[in-house]
Amino acid sequence: MTAYADKTVLVTGATRGVGRQITDHVLAGGGRVLGFARQASYIDNANYTHFQVDLANATAVTAIFGEVRKKTSRIDIVINNAGVLTSQYAMIMPPAAAQAMVNVNLLAPFLISREAAKFMRKSKWGRIINIGSMAASLEPIGDSVYAATKAGLSTLANVMAKEFGTFNVTCNTLGISAIDSDMLAQLPRDKIEEIIKSLPVARFADIDDILNVIDFFASERSSYITAQTVFLGGVN
Amino acid sequence: MDFRHDVLQIIFEALKSLNEELPEDQQVALSEDTLLFGGESTIDSLSLVSVIVDVETAISTQYDRPVALTDDRAMSREPSPFTSVRTLTDFVVELLTEKA
Repeated sequence: MTAYADKTVLVTGATRGVGRQITDHVLAGGGRVLGFARQASYIDNANYTHFQVDLANATAVTAIFGEVRKKTSRIDIVINNAGVLTSQYAMIMPPAAAQAMVNVNLLAPFLISREAAKFMRKSKWGRIINIGSMAASLEPIGDSVYAATKAGLSTLANVMAKEFGTFNVTCNTLGISAIDSDMLAQLPRDKIEEIIKSLPVARFADIDDILNVIDFFASERSSYITAQTVFLGGVN
Repeated sequence: MDFRHDVLQIIFEALKSLNEELPEDQQVALSEDTLLFGGESTIDSLSLVSVIVDVETAISTQYDRPVALTDDRAMSREPSPFTSVRTLTDFVVELLTEKA
């Protein structure tokens, strides 16, 4: 039995990249997925329910839970996967790009986690899993705001772990290393490869590296694992 | 539209839910005079959060519109709308009446 059997799992950024692969993994494991994404969905599965929402818009993020409540009374697991990245030297970073990263990478996970926690409070069980980044630890040039939002994501989980612990909700963060994705394609390849070479495990992450840790955090047996950040590839 | 009776029942339901989790000697009275916030209240801060969340959710569901009880107006008002069941009821009715 997987960690997702008969569980309702909210995945943000569910239709593309890592989020799509997480969605497919949960569905294959017998879970139901509530997918949040800006674009329409082409996922054809009876256990998938799509919610089209712009995560950069805090009002829309809060409002979409009115629609979620009409579809389900349960959210068991949240995977805050969606993120945006603009890599640029701080002195020339467009403020709008910086604001978008704060909104999508930090404010949206905050709003989604707290709204989902209202469901979890009733069932007295839940898992909140944030997809962070090695950037939070490595602090690469050009990633000032991105790295700050991802570091903030860990802090968010750690504080929420204290607030939600009384109703058996764990909150953890997975700091992923570089994986071939649309987001990574925005960065200079030589810059990425230089970072990869410096890691103890000097290779790109693959999806199974990510799913392995998500499965661990989501597991019934991980009820005593909370307020933790796990980095892939030996980043610390 | 007179919301007061329904709002009061929603708040009482939230207090009943809270009572299910509280020991016998800490049960909260279902009365408009029950204090929710401040020095004389017997409800701790996390319990008050639970009540607010339950009331927000129930109001949003019953009236099919989002209601935020902890916006800037609520937080800056003196006395706090969360002082007692009566003040909370009045505040929710005020919000609903504005939006009606």
